[in-house]
Amino acid sequence: MYNEKISPELYELCNLFGPSGYEGEVADYIEDKIKNICDNYTKDRMGNLICLIRAGDENAEGRQRIMVSAHMDEVGVMITEICDDGLLRFDTVGGINVSVLEGRKLTLSSEKGKLCGLVMSKAIHHIDRKDRDKPNKIEKLYIDIGAKNAEEASTRVSIGDFGAFDSEFYLFGEDGAFVKAKAIDDRAGCANIIEVMRSIYANRPEANLDLYFCFTVREETGLSGAKVAANEIRPHIAIVLESTAIADIPTADPSKKVADVGKGGALSVADRSTIYDKELIELALASGKEENIPVQLKRYVSGGNDAGHIHKSGSGVRCLAISVPTRYLHSPACVASVEDINSVRRLLEALLYRITD
Amino acid sequence: MNQIQQILKDRIIKLCSVMSVSGFEKRAKDTLYEKLGGDFDEIKTDPVGNHIFIKRCGKENAPLCLVDAHFDEVGMMVTDILDGGFLKFTQIGGLSLSVLQAADVIIYGRQTLRGVIISTPPHLRDGSDKLAAIEDLLIDTGYSKEALEEITPVGTPVGFAPVYREMLSGTLVGKSFDNKACGAVCAEAIASIDRSDLPCDVALMLSSFEETSRLGGVSSGVYSLEPDYAVVTDVNLARVPDTKKYETVPLFEGISIAFSTATDRALTLASEKLCKEKDIPHTMTAAPSSTGTNSPTVNLTGRGVPVVDIGLPLKNMHTYNETVSLDDAESLYRFIREFVMSKEIAEFFKKREEDIFNV
Repeated sequence: MYNEKISPELYELCNLFGPSGYEGEVADYIEDKIKNICDNYTKDRMGNLICLIRAGDENAEGRQRIMVSAHMDEVGVMITEICDDGLLRFDTVGGINVSVLEGRKLTLSSEKGKLCGLVMSKAIHHIDRKDRDKPNKIEKLYIDIGAKNAEEASTRVSIGDFGAFDSEFYLFGEDGAFVKAKAIDDRAGCANIIEVMRSIYANRPEANLDLYFCFTVREETGLSGAKVAANEIRPHIAIVLESTAIADIPTADPSKKVADVGKGGALSVADRSTIYDKELIELALASGKEENIPVQLKRYVSGGNDAGHIHKSGSGVRCLAISVPTRYLHSPACVASVEDINSVRRLLEALLYRITD
Repeated sequence: MNQIQQILKDRIIKLCSVMSVSGFEKRAKDTLYEKLGGDFDEIKTDPVGNHIFIKRCGKENAPLCLVDAHFDEVGMMVTDILDGGFLKFTQIGGLSLSVLQAADVIIYGRQTLRGVIISTPPHLRDGSDKLAAIEDLLIDTGYSKEALEEITPVGTPVGFAPVYREMLSGTLVGKSFDNKACGAVCAEAIASIDRSDLPCDVALMLSSFEETSRLGGVSSGVYSLEPDYAVVTDVNLARVPDTKKYETVPLFEGISIAFSTATDRALTLASEKLCKEKDIPHTMTAAPSSTGTNSPTVNLTGRGVPVVDIGLPLKNMHTYNETVSLDDAESLYRFIREFVMSKEIAEFFKKREEDIFNV
């Protein structure tokens, strides 16, 4: 399932259930992992998990507040209707192409418990030849849970229940160099922060820093929990750990090639929600060079992340985003390089020892 | 779920997990013999990949009853190897384009590798309103091109990853129930019968090539076996929204029995009668010109074989998340048992055979 090159936490985190707005299972898991490796932590009103590690002289003037964040949520679906025949209608939570939803197993989870659901796919025998290259519309899709009628379905699911991909986590490729899972976006970020907290807690930087490690909610829907976390923390600097969509496959338009798998964490210069802080980018590049950690720049302006809200919060925040280049983002089968995930972790750690007060 | 359904579930998952993409059925020979061999008297695999399991009743001049379930499954095959460890592929049998992206696959080369079919994230979409053509899809393997040229040369079969789940009402979801679910149920049904209760010898044929050509594997097997009568079992399109009632069968209401010009009417009526007598849930359907199964081929092979066409309702056909009901699987199990044990049917065909004037 996993080897010594990845943390068991990455495996466990990717398999947890946590679509935007229903991150409780992920938050509880992380809380259990971090409670003994920080000075203080809290879950805020939104459900963000915020952990503090103090470095340097606690009584020093002008301590710098550094926010490091990764989001806990993943893309998923929400049930919108229970039909008479026991099938469920649904809509997406976060951006998902229908072409990776149709025919997939989902996990549905609510206070009533978990069950398996399947986004039905019409047999090819029932699709007109001329329609076979047309993607279905979400209005035409149903989730089947095996219920024989609405009454039976209602004993297990309700309108408003969440679903997420049910997809096997595995390592593949030469020497298991790649990880395939759902929700690498952004559980890889969460796993990396937990690991970095461990080393920072044991071996604190000398600079006078208040290090706020945040596990945020609702990134995928854009109704960013990180916005509220930033309002609470009022950081001077924020470092966002993310997963970024790339297009490094042979058939993709080379001009859209965002970053390369295997060449380290990708630093955003600009995306659709943020223009990033030049000095922090320079510091990250220099840290990578000094510590021999691969790092690359994102080469295509696309997407956005929690930095979009964080950099505008309060009186403004200098932001850096380090992303794991991830193929097939927002699908049940995301693929990332184990080395890249580790490079992002090492780069974050190197940065935290280099930021001065 | 009762004990029979528990056993059937276990057998179905075991058999459906085996790779048997059309044209590669022979690779499953050892596994099959190991899984099913103990329950039968004679086992063979013929030149075109039909796996044949015979159970003898020990009676003289016993007629031979054929139970057919095609063993092949839809899948893919490697057609080219690209830089960066990507494989081009083509489909074997009819695959729905709409479920291919982001699918977990297994590449059955000189080593067995895992792979993922590529997909385009919403962030990078080009606004196209068409699904990517199969020629534009790739399998991501994480290996180098040089390594792949050794391990997965052109022609290597690729199957979907076997992952099974149970849903409500005893429904099972996963790959290749079409048609190994029928094969597994038939094997279990025949194995469960005491030889002394058989009025006939029974040949279970897990036949080849159904998905790629209806004139494929099954005819060779029938030609060499010369059965006196036959039952063809295959999955049948289950009723889902936006489909026609007369083209589909409901899930949870048992097996389907098809009237067709391509099958034997007397045997079809006898099968219906059997279901009524033994209280086996069933639905009668009509498929006038073709059943879309092996039945017409079986019917017209050699001197002709009286055949009845039996269906197991299945949703999401030809995807890796096909769905069957274990209630329906149990109905099929009970039917096959009663069918091969039916003295009335065996004697009817024995008598008919004796009455035929030998040209």
